[in-house]
Amino acid sequence: MSTSATREIREVPSYCYNCVAGPDLMTVRVENGVATRIEPCHAAAAIHPGLGRVCVKAFGLVQKTYNPHRVLTPMKRTNPRKGRDEDPGFVAISWDEALDTIAARLRDIRARGLMDEAGLPRVAATFGHGGTPQSYMGTFPAFLSAWGAIDYSFGSGQGVKCVHSEHLYGEFWHRGFTVAADTVHTRYIISCGTNVEVTGGVCAVRRHADARIRGAKRVQVEPHLSPTGACSAEWVPIKPKTDPAFLLALVHTLLFEHERRALDLPFLRERTASPYLIGPDGYYLRDPTSFKPLLWDEATGAPVPFDTPGARPALEGRFTIAEAVTRGPDDEARPQHNVAARTAFTAMADAVQGYTPDWAGGICDIPAETIRRIAAEFLENACIGETIEIDGETLPFRPVAVTLGKTVNNGWGAYECCWARTMLATLVGALEVPGGTLGTTVRLNRPHENRLKSVQPGEDGFMVAHFNATGRKDWLAVPNGRNAHRTLVPIVGNSPWAQALGPTHLAWMFSSQAPKEWPAPPLPEIWFAFRTNPAISFWDTAEIGRAMARMPFIVAFAYTFDETNHMADILLPDATDLESTQLIRVGGTKFVEQHWAHHGVALRAPAVAPQGEARDFTWISTELARRAGLLERYNAALNRGAAGAALKGEGYDFSLAPAQAHDVDTIWNAVCQAATAELSHGAEVHDLDWFKRNGHYVVPFKREDWYLYPTMVRLGLRFELPYQERLLRVGVELGRRLHEQGIHWWDHQLDEYVAIPQWHDVPERWVQSIRDMGADPADYPLWGITTKVMPYTTGNNAGIPLMHEVSANLRNHGAVVINATTAASLGIATGDWVEVRSPIGATRGRAAVVQGCRPDTVVIPGQFEHWKTPFAKDLTFPSLNTVVPLSLALTDATGSGADVVRVALRKIAAPAEAGVA
Amino acid sequence: MSQSMASRRQRYWDLRAAGNFIGGGTGAGLIITAALAAAMGAPFRLALAIGLGFVAAGLSLVWLEIGKPWRALNVFFHPRTSWMTREGIVAGGLVPLGLFAVATGSTAAAIVVALLAAGFLFCQARILRAARGIPAWRQAEIVPLILATGLAEGSGVYLIAGAHTLRWLALALLAGLLREAAWLAYRAGLAGTEAAARSLAVFDAAPARLARGAQLAGLGLIALALATGALGVTPWGVAVLAWVGGALAALAGWGVKALLIVRAAFTRAAAIPMVPTRGGGGSRARQASRP
Amino acid sequence: MTRYVMVADLRRCVGCQTCTAACKEGNATPPGVQWRRVLDLETGTYPDVNRVFVPVGCQHCANPPCMEVCPSTATGQRADGIVTIDYDLCIGCSYCIMACPYDARSLVDRTEYAFGEAATAAEAARADRRTIGVATKCTFCAGRIDAGTARGLVPGQDPEATPLCVNSCISGALSFGDIEDPTGPIASLLAENQWFRMHESEGTEPGFYYIWDKGKL
Repeated sequence: MSTSATREIREVPSYCYNCVAGPDLMTVRVENGVATRIEPCHAAAAIHPGLGRVCVKAFGLVQKTYNPHRVLTPMKRTNPRKGRDEDPGFVAISWDEALDTIAARLRDIRARGLMDEAGLPRVAATFGHGGTPQSYMGTFPAFLSAWGAIDYSFGSGQGVKCVHSEHLYGEFWHRGFTVAADTVHTRYIISCGTNVEVTGGVCAVRRHADARIRGAKRVQVEPHLSPTGACSAEWVPIKPKTDPAFLLALVHTLLFEHERRALDLPFLRERTASPYLIGPDGYYLRDPTSFKPLLWDEATGAPVPFDTPGARPALEGRFTIAEAVTRGPDDEARPQHNVAARTAFTAMADAVQGYTPDWAGGICDIPAETIRRIAAEFLENACIGETIEIDGETLPFRPVAVTLGKTVNNGWGAYECCWARTMLATLVGALEVPGGTLGTTVRLNRPHENRLKSVQPGEDGFMVAHFNATGRKDWLAVPNGRNAHRTLVPIVGNSPWAQALGPTHLAWMFSSQAPKEWPAPPLPEIWFAFRTNPAISFWDTAEIGRAMARMPFIVAFAYTFDETNHMADILLPDATDLESTQLIRVGGTKFVEQHWAHHGVALRAPAVAPQGEARDFTWISTELARRAGLLERYNAALNRGAAGAALKGEGYDFSLAPAQAHDVDTIWNAVCQAATAELSHGAEVHDLDWFKRNGHYVVPFKREDWYLYPTMVRLGLRFELPYQERLLRVGVELGRRLHEQGIHWWDHQLDEYVAIPQWHDVPERWVQSIRDMGADPADYPLWGITTKVMPYTTGNNAGIPLMHEVSANLRNHGAVVINATTAASLGIATGDWVEVRSPIGATRGRAAVVQGCRPDTVVIPGQFEHWKTPFAKDLTFPSLNTVVPLSLALTDATGSGADVVRVALRKIAAPAEAGVA
Repeated sequence: MSQSMASRRQRYWDLRAAGNFIGGGTGAGLIITAALAAAMGAPFRLALAIGLGFVAAGLSLVWLEIGKPWRALNVFFHPRTSWMTREGIVAGGLVPLGLFAVATGSTAAAIVVALLAAGFLFCQARILRAARGIPAWRQAEIVPLILATGLAEGSGVYLIAGAHTLRWLALALLAGLLREAAWLAYRAGLAGTEAAARSLAVFDAAPARLARGAQLAGLGLIALALATGALGVTPWGVAVLAWVGGALAALAGWGVKALLIVRAAFTRAAAIPMVPTRGGGGSRARQASRP
Repeated sequence: MTRYVMVADLRRCVGCQTCTAACKEGNATPPGVQWRRVLDLETGTYPDVNRVFVPVGCQHCANPPCMEVCPSTATGQRADGIVTIDYDLCIGCSYCIMACPYDARSLVDRTEYAFGEAATAAEAARADRRTIGVATKCTFCAGRIDAGTARGLVPGQDPEATPLCVNSCISGALSFGDIEDPTGPIASLLAENQWFRMHESEGTEPGFYYIWDKGKL
């Protein structure tokens, strides 16, 4: 509305990658040097699947920039005592003092060795949500690389706040670190708790909206009616944590209530291990000489190795095999003579025979007929036999998908869900083909840019899997990281991301009470924290806070004071989203539903000068490297590609001189040029100035590369389904190793290593946990779960007033969502104060009484209950994290838990601190 | 949260705005009563002056409420359709002519002033009637309610001023009965309007019940005073009954009006007649069920 | 003739509030004032429940009740259907707020800021004192439309001439344009789908259409 005639207006290209559903491109409008608003990047409408738009969170970045509560100078702690109730006594210091203090410690550590007496890295680092901080930390990865061993064990919520089991099993089975529907082609989606309309980001929201208009049907299976449920054709209010029964019943229905020829039999025969023969000991029967798994060749009526040309594999059946061998745990070769065998497919059918819709209906509180109908609709829409042309290639067209959301695909029951989901896709040939269920990206395998390239032939006709060793000789008996991911979780592997996907809560738990079988893990001597607030975002936040307070030296990159940096020793104010420079990769296929027909790079150019003394993260990284004596290693890491692109490649060399501290623009100028040279194969080179004007550079990405299927066909590989021989073996081996060490506290987790997942009473584990805490389950009659709202999801932005204001238009913002009948029985009306209590504590908030929630469930959205973060601390919002216990018993074999807890609910008087919200 | 919960209590007109309807109603009612007195040859100048005072006080309060008080004259710009402009114009005639009538004691002037006062009150009623965002106001029966309420309050105040002869008691009783009838009609009309559920809840809550009870008590006292007066016993008793009854008639009316303007005024909730079809094969009802 | 209208496809809207935030930031509305917002409505009884997200704001009615009641003539109507408020005429009586069946208008009496007493640099840069003490509401970003059409751009199609909420809408629920253009996208959107307007019985002839299903076959 301002009509000043002398306004100087600039539009600065940038991106938002505050959640894993990004990155999305945007424009920052700058008036007379002040960032005033965010706008979409309309210039990217043709290349970005979300038409160059950004979600609501991005619009908070202006307030984020000018938040008066920002930490704007480096600070040091003056109170050596740490704890929630201790005033840190932060005082401003110079950048020199801050960096020299840190560098002195770093140099001291290097002099003594990177590892401590327990063999653990002396330096640890934690970054927040899903790797997104990397898109804001400039060249810090180069510093970390230059340093060497770093412990990423301490989680900020991984395992319980992510779709953890899906990450691990999805990547194992089909290179799907996250798994999505091929929404642009699909006709039918069974969505078990996937809150894609809230967390799927701009691209997913657009794709699903288009799909709805096209007439695709989505069935939302979840205990409360989320926006995704709201925008689905059907809502199936399932009892919490019973999704495995529902999904197993769908598998049962396809196998036992429909004709076999209704399934995609060629896909099952040729692209899966369904025909592989299983011996009586549960392992594949193998050819005695080649050791290859056998299948029954209907052409010759004899068992042959799986890759025998011309064989006609029997998909199902029971056979007697005269001579074979199985590979048991620890490479035991077990000769088998005249043994009864069944195919893996038959073994699966046997295993799920009892999981009828009627059986599941009682467990899930869903009518059996609904389950039958959904299975039938899924099958009807699978279009088995049809094909579609993508990029000139003819591919199978199977427009049905099953997606899983948080709390379904992490914690106990998640293995069963992930398997059943993947099997549903497999049975109709809808795995990794157009219209079907797709992986989006890889993180445990490399390269991240194109997951297809991570597919290499491995054992037994499957793609290679990089498990942590469980053999006698090579199992890591004493953990080399504080969450013991290599020791306890074979499937997570040991790639750079693996540690952060280990059982990260164990690092916190073991820091106060280590297992007696292992040396007590010393705390890291330096802990770096950036864009992370585990003191709010983890389970049992009070306990996490206490563990954090024991950390001897914390360096926190600080935006405002918060609950985690309250424990810090040094605060470093980094230039935030609109103030700093970074080039990142965009496009291809990324987390959630970022499926582009292009890929390339985008620049986050500084729209405005940093506030106060905040400094560009790249400058901070370079200075830390220089002062710690790591400059040459740091520059070498940059030259290798630690900033996102190798600076030297075929036909180009933009390498940085190794002995010199380069300024921010010099570094990113080199990265810009190298990245464009790489993408264009040397045809085009664009420098930093070009990117400041144009924002992004992309080249075409084949849409065919959204799908793994063509790669599997090209390499002659099979999906490692349905039978989990590898997991079975690895589980036995892991059990042996642990037992050899006298460790029995992981035995429940070992139970999960079965070849075909079986139902067990999953919800009962949470009921039992109440008993384990010495309480009576009858006192905690309701399920407490959580959900997200888009303005906050993973935005680390609870201190931004704009987000609070716009979220207040949603009925559940800052509330405890309660079914109307339940609320009436407790005398609770909308707006009343209620307390949600578990044996470990209580959280309070205002009630939102709704019809769209199961009567046995209450929902607490978001992650609040801040006590330090300015603005957020005055909201007096509840948080489920306060009442969810940290528990080994509630940790599954992948090291994940779930955001669910049995709770009591009652009406209370308004607390004294209430008022602002 | 049902659809009806999406309505919000209006937060722009507070007690100052209510004061305009209170002052305007009571003042107009009192002016009309005073004009009746004038027509009957009774003293009326004090009552007329007090009535004008009520009107002026109400207008002053609303002047304090508006966002740009120094632009208040812009209120006169839209006589073609705005009842607020018309209210202003009528007030522009009412106040000086009223002062003239008070100053001169002219009966004819008093009668003209009473007609203007009636017009002023009608404008106020139509202001509410035209507020289409507030279901509790836009109800057709709001017009007789505001008119009858003004008369009941004014005639009640007239009793306080000491005029408790039978004819004024009878007038107050009649006005009170009219108000009761208008109230019942208004409530009945509101009950037939789904959008007004939250307003009805306010009228059913304790403060409104108290005000309504006081209103009925006042009416009873006036009736008793009339009966007692007609029997010619205890003149001082009649005076006390009339005084208390008149006060209750006015005060309780103010209370109800304050609740009507400030507490019971909810915006009209958004309503969707049809639920969107989200994707194919939807099994959900498409007709939006009523809240 | 031109009449600009907004179309909200309720099948698409996910209630994300991106339009709300984009409008607030783009129009520099003070805390608590939302010219565009998305309601979160529920109908039915468990388990047969519908939850619907409904973008609302000024409906730019053909017969605007706000204009009828406005005593100062501050509320006006342009030839292209956009209902306007002249901040220099408005006396801030709030009567129009009471008259709007769509709860679309706001008024703030004093300057408020997101973080409390002091304006951030961005707020200071955008502050417009004329909007204090007067009624405000969605303008359909008339300034953008006028600047855009002056350059030959088409509102609803060229982002520079299109309301910010429409530009920002991530699900594609919001569309904008001239309903009188028989070959334009708005005309075909409304011809091909079933829609309603809110509180149609009021006779306000809103310029805001809600699509709820595809056209009858």
